[in-house]
Amino acid sequence: MIVSFGRVIKFSIQDIYRNIWLSLVTIIILILALFTVNMLLVVKVVGDAAVGAIKDKIDVNLFLKNSAEEDEIDALRVKVSNLAEVKEVSYISKSEALESFKEKHRDNAEILEALRELGKNPLTPSLVIKPKDLEIFDDLINHLNTFDDEIIESRNFTNYKLLLTQINNITDKVTRAGYLLSGIFIFITILVVYNSVRVAIYTHRRQITIMRLVGASRWFIQMPYLLSGIIYALVSIIAIMFMFYPFLSLLQPYLETFFVGYNINLIEYYYGSILTIFGVQFLAAAVINMVAAYLAVRKYSRV
Amino acid sequence: MIRLYNVTKIYSKNLKALNNINLNIKHGEFISIVGQSGTGKTTIVKTLIGEEKVDQGKIVIGGWDITNISQREIPVLRRQIGVIFQDFKLLNKKTLFENVAFAMQVCGGQARKIKKIVPHVMKIVGLESKMSRYPQEVSGGEQQRVAIARALVHRPKILLADEPTGNLDSLNANEVIELLLRINKFGTTVILVTHNREIVNRLKRRVLTIDDGYLISDQAVGKYIL
Repeated sequence: MIVSFGRVIKFSIQDIYRNIWLSLVTIIILILALFTVNMLLVVKVVGDAAVGAIKDKIDVNLFLKNSAEEDEIDALRVKVSNLAEVKEVSYISKSEALESFKEKHRDNAEILEALRELGKNPLTPSLVIKPKDLEIFDDLINHLNTFDDEIIESRNFTNYKLLLTQINNITDKVTRAGYLLSGIFIFITILVVYNSVRVAIYTHRRQITIMRLVGASRWFIQMPYLLSGIIYALVSIIAIMFMFYPFLSLLQPYLETFFVGYNINLIEYYYGSILTIFGVQFLAAAVINMVAAYLAVRKYSRV
Repeated sequence: MIRLYNVTKIYSKNLKALNNINLNIKHGEFISIVGQSGTGKTTIVKTLIGEEKVDQGKIVIGGWDITNISQREIPVLRRQIGVIFQDFKLLNKKTLFENVAFAMQVCGGQARKIKKIVPHVMKIVGLESKMSRYPQEVSGGEQQRVAIARALVHRPKILLADEPTGNLDSLNANEVIELLLRINKFGTTVILVTHNREIVNRLKRRVLTIDDGYLISDQAVGKYIL
């Protein structure tokens, strides 16, 4: 059995080598399909990270009057904290707000100059409220709108929900396009593998005739062609691993610039899940190739 | 050894390749099946190796009813029946040794066994000195002898030769027939399908004559009668 399996592998490699150009085309198509699938994964990772980053930033500000007393602020803070939709409330004093403002605009000389010319701290103290869940964000806004405390000067309710919906819409559209593209590539892969095996069988029709005549089992005759489907998948996966890491290295600086202050590291993500990501892709590609090869073998190997 | 009971093979409404053939071939016999082209000779060969299924009747080889043989059992049958053809069916990119070894390799033969048996059968067919040559570097007769060697590696009990001399000149044809006779002497049943009158008449062995799918003559020491 081991001897036969060794020969099956040998015959399979011979089949690939004897139709080397067709084999290369098959592998290139597989690489393109795998590249699309991996791009889809990148879009998902980046999309999730963007949504996560925004979710992390979501808060509601209640700006307070400068004249507000500490006990009044504490009372309001307790009142807000008791709301079911609130996760956390923090108080930002006037001076903390100024420091934060200066830090935020440290590279903008004009703003800093304007602040200096003003001669006093124009900012007000505030309560920064983080919601428990984005789903109940609207309820929180409604509740906060009912608060009619004298010390509240203004409210800042940026519509993060809309922003997140927009991001989700974009990632959904890209993902759908990716699925479509992957589907097209999978279909092309099936056709190409099917035809590669068909041509390989045609090339070896005399050999197959002899094998059948001298009593080779059907398993032995067909297995090299099925195995070539696995070899195509293996070579493609190895190739995409070598190609995709440099691609991610090129992409990473742009992502870091875009998501300043957030840890989005695609290379780390890929390294961390290398076996899962490429293992699953290899299995899927191998199964697709074997199905295509089996269909060709079943139809054409009766030489 | 081989028994055919009322075997009929129909390819289409107007083409009955075999018509109610009854036959009994004993172990160790050397028989010739003769007839003109398209009369059903090759169909008999195909039914004996499971290449074609019969539409009526029964075929038994060595006590094994192969009439409805399954795809899985066909390789087992073919390892017990050696077959050679007019066109030799050799692989041009393999040496003569590799061509013979190939038959054992694809059936799971151990490398050590292959190294031992192949030179032995090449010696039987008289080609032990040309084992490293390629098919195109030897004569047609020698190519057919390689095909015979390949058919012998599984030590078959039956050797089917379908027009083995069809592509050979008389000298090479005689050499091949002499080889088949020698193999028959070792105890292998040989079935020679031919329309070569001279060879059949010279053999003075059992002759079955097929005409239009019918077995019209079965002579113990026969001649080519058509």
